[in-house]
Amino acid sequence: MITTDRHYVIVPNDYNEAGKASSDIKRFLKRLKLSWDLIKRVSVASYEAEINIVIHSIGGYADFKIDGDVIYLQFIDCGPGIPDIELAMQEGYSTATEENRINGFGAGMGLSNIKKAVDEMTLVSDINGTVLKMKFFIREEDKNVG
Amino acid sequence: MKLSEIVNKYHCTIYTQGLYDPDKEIKFAFCSDLMSDALMIMSTVKESGVLEESVLITGLTTNQSVRTAEMLDVEVVLLVRGKIPADQVVELAKESNIILLGTGLTMFNVSGLMYQEGIQGIYSHK
Repeated sequence: MITTDRHYVIVPNDYNEAGKASSDIKRFLKRLKLSWDLIKRVSVASYEAEINIVIHSIGGYADFKIDGDVIYLQFIDCGPGIPDIELAMQEGYSTATEENRINGFGAGMGLSNIKKAVDEMTLVSDINGTVLKMKFFIREEDKNVG
Repeated sequence: MKLSEIVNKYHCTIYTQGLYDPDKEIKFAFCSDLMSDALMIMSTVKESGVLEESVLITGLTTNQSVRTAEMLDVEVVLLVRGKIPADQVVELAKESNIILLGTGLTMFNVSGLMYQEGIQGIYSHK
C-alpha cells in the first residue's frame, strides 16, 4: 500500500516559486507508475489551486497525502477569502489584477478547471481564509501503468 | 514535423541544448499567453501521447510557461515575438526536462506556418 504525507508552504505573489509544490507532487506520482490521466488530473488541479493561493491570498499551504487508494490534496490559505463561491466557480469570472495576467494567470478558469479534474471536492471560505479539499480515487486501471 | 524542421524553418534559438532532440516528432500545438487557458484546453486531451507530441506556443517568458508544460506532459515550449527568457527560466526548463525554444516570429505567424505544415491544434474534448 502506498502512503505519503507531504506539506508545502505557499508564498503570496511569488511567481518564480509558484508551482513548485505541484511539480514535486507530480514527480512523486510519476514514480508510482500511476495512469497518465490520473496524474494529469491531480497535477492540473494542484497547480491551479497553488496559483490561486499565490495570486489571490496572503499566503497559505498545501498538504498532499496518499492513503490506500485515495489521493488527498488540501490547500489552505489565510484570507482574504472568496466573497461569492458560486460566482468564482463560473468559467471566465475573475478578480485577477493586471499583474496576475502579465504573469499568465487570471483567465477565470482556475476553480472550474479544478472541478473538472477532481473526483470529489469541498470548498469553504470566509474572510479568515479558504479551505479547498480534493479527493482522487486510484482505480485498478490507474495502477502499474506509466 | 521534426523538431529540427521547426528550429530550422523558424530560426529558433535552442535554450536547452542538452535536452534538444532534433528527431522528436511534433504533431500538435496550442498557443496562448494565459496559462489557465492552456491548462483548460490541454487538460481535456484523453489520449495519452498527444501532449508529448505537442508544442506550447506562448509569449509568456516566465517560469509559469515551463511549469504549465510540465503539469501537462508537454515537452516543448516555443517562445514567440523574439522574447528572451531569464536565466532562471532556462534553468527551470532544464530541471523539468522541457525543451525551450524561441523564435522572432509572432504567435499568429508561427502558428499559421506550422498549421500549413500539418500541425493540428489541440481543442477542448468535452
